[in-house]
Amino acid sequence: MSFQSVFEKNLIFINGKGGVGKTLLARAVSHHLASQGFKTLNAVFEDPLREPGELIQPDPSLPKLWSFNCEAHSAFEEYIQQKIPLPHVSRLFLKNKLIRYLSKAAPGIHELVLLGKIWFERTHYDRIVVDMPSTGYGLTMFQSVVNFGKLFQSGPIHKDAELMLETLRDPKQTGHLLVTLPEEMPIREAIDLQGYLQKLFPENHSQFVVNKKFPHLETLTRQEDSLWKNPVPKSLLDYALKKSHTEAEHLQLLRERGKNFQEIPYIPPTLHNAPENLVRDLASYLKEGTS
Amino acid sequence: MNSSQIDQLIQERRIIVTCGTGGVGKTTLSASLAIRAAVLGKRAVVITIDPAKRLATSLGFDKRVGDAPADITPHLQEALKNHSEAAPGSLGKLHAIMPDTQGSFEKLVAQLAPNSALAQSLMQNPIFEIFAREFSGANEYMALERLISLHNTGEYDTIILDTPPSRNTLAFLDAPQLLARLFEEKLIQWLVVPTNQLFSIGIKKALGILEKLTGSGFMTHLFAFGQALFDVRIKFLARLKDVTTLLQSQDVGFILVTASVPEAIPELQHFVDSVKDHGFHFDGLLINRTLGGLADDQSEWRSAGKSSEQAKQLGRARQLLQALVEREKVSYDAFKPLLEGSRRLGGGSILYEKLPELARDIHSLEDLLYVAFALGRSSGESGP
Repeated sequence: MSFQSVFEKNLIFINGKGGVGKTLLARAVSHHLASQGFKTLNAVFEDPLREPGELIQPDPSLPKLWSFNCEAHSAFEEYIQQKIPLPHVSRLFLKNKLIRYLSKAAPGIHELVLLGKIWFERTHYDRIVVDMPSTGYGLTMFQSVVNFGKLFQSGPIHKDAELMLETLRDPKQTGHLLVTLPEEMPIREAIDLQGYLQKLFPENHSQFVVNKKFPHLETLTRQEDSLWKNPVPKSLLDYALKKSHTEAEHLQLLRERGKNFQEIPYIPPTLHNAPENLVRDLASYLKEGTS
Repeated sequence: MNSSQIDQLIQERRIIVTCGTGGVGKTTLSASLAIRAAVLGKRAVVITIDPAKRLATSLGFDKRVGDAPADITPHLQEALKNHSEAAPGSLGKLHAIMPDTQGSFEKLVAQLAPNSALAQSLMQNPIFEIFAREFSGANEYMALERLISLHNTGEYDTIILDTPPSRNTLAFLDAPQLLARLFEEKLIQWLVVPTNQLFSIGIKKALGILEKLTGSGFMTHLFAFGQALFDVRIKFLARLKDVTTLLQSQDVGFILVTASVPEAIPELQHFVDSVKDHGFHFDGLLINRTLGGLADDQSEWRSAGKSSEQAKQLGRARQLLQALVEREKVSYDAFKPLLEGSRRLGGGSILYEKLPELARDIHSLEDLLYVAFALGRSSGESGP
């Protein structure tokens, strides 16, 4: 398994703990795929700093790249309008106070609608790269599809939920990346997350990506216990040596469980416009790695 | 001796809520704040949701979850004996709680329901089952429930609430309102009696369409769920009001934990505004995982590289770290406007502290004690 195999899928989900770099990696993957000529949608869910439902072309040099801030309210209306083709009926339905209340307050509807919108868009793009919410909430989104498939025993929503699940489970259509840092907590959480995803999508294995791998240094051993006593580093060098050493130990957690992973090096940030520059650097790293 | 800003905050607030996005070290910091308070002689407790296993172990939890407060004071006493620094005063108390959100939601329902038969039927409702497990906002709300019940015992001088991981920093603040929306009285009552004579034609039609979309089994569960919500709403809304009143009181301060990256600013600004909009007290920023305070001595690096290959590796690492340090400096300047217009309770300047990145993971209470002592020392620079 390599990045390449995941990049061939129509739907690519970027999963992982908060703070591991999912958002920038999703942007970089989208950037890379669009530069390869694929019509690509980079989807995020309800970014409060962007307009709801905003669909933009973020980079003038990449005409095939689109960025979408997926939002539940408009997605719900769109879905209902599809299911109830008579405009005056669907309008009345959506305007009804009780329905509006249920669509907002009923548990799981929100998540189902967000994911459903992405699923619906899949035929309009060659690639959709989804920046998933962090572990717990991300799982809730996937779980909502399973829940509604069960909760609604018949009818069109039941059918759509089943079809969605089929797509998410199909390794030909959908790829799941699990992003982690080479730190203990994120790695353990990623291993747990892989277990949960495995239960939801038994035939579709997710793949580990270790982001921000610190440069390897071979100059320190664990032998000098007194050096390791205080977790607060003494100097920048002390930090670097320990960081490199403990990262190797943490990656062992993946190796001893037989988990393959891709590494992405820690790219030094620039002083200004760091996110934009990092996306570009990451995209060219992905390009080199897959060509 | 001047006490650090963090020590002052511990003296001023009974409850400190730590907020922040994932990966900024919020949970470790929350535990360390509670330890700091205990070291200052306070009876302290930390409420933390789903911490990493090792941190749980270092706080003395063998099992994953402990809904009752665990007394860690003896462990802390032991750790202090081995520590190079002594506590500034006599040791208070240190407790920790890891609420089981699933279990406590059921407990809450049992308390709110007018009778046990209703509680029972609600718990068997498949909609409730999903709700208790996955409603975004339920975890957050349950953490607040636990907070208020601990506060009411009067057994603690300091309560640190580590907010659960959420979609974003704001989700925690919005959780109570999100739940309140579920209980909008005018709307629930429409769900209560499906054959209600008062039903308007519009509602009948809408429900008819909904039934076609969802299949018939679901509607039965929905009406049962609506009925149950209707029955528990009065007590629930009263509880919700208590939670909001407490959070808005002078007892509670909110601090924001962040990494030192300038990209975080829009989200931080959004958060600060939102805390104030809710009528809560914003007490300042803790900039965590910083490298800028560490000594960076050329000769030390040079002597560490024994071969030319090692020297090359070290050079790469140093270059990366220096780039990170430079960017930290940019973010410090950019963070300061966030704090303008905010004052702390005692009239002191708003909290603005940088804390060092750790060289390794936390394994024990001794490790947390090192961080707690760093909290007591920090504070060189004051805010704007």
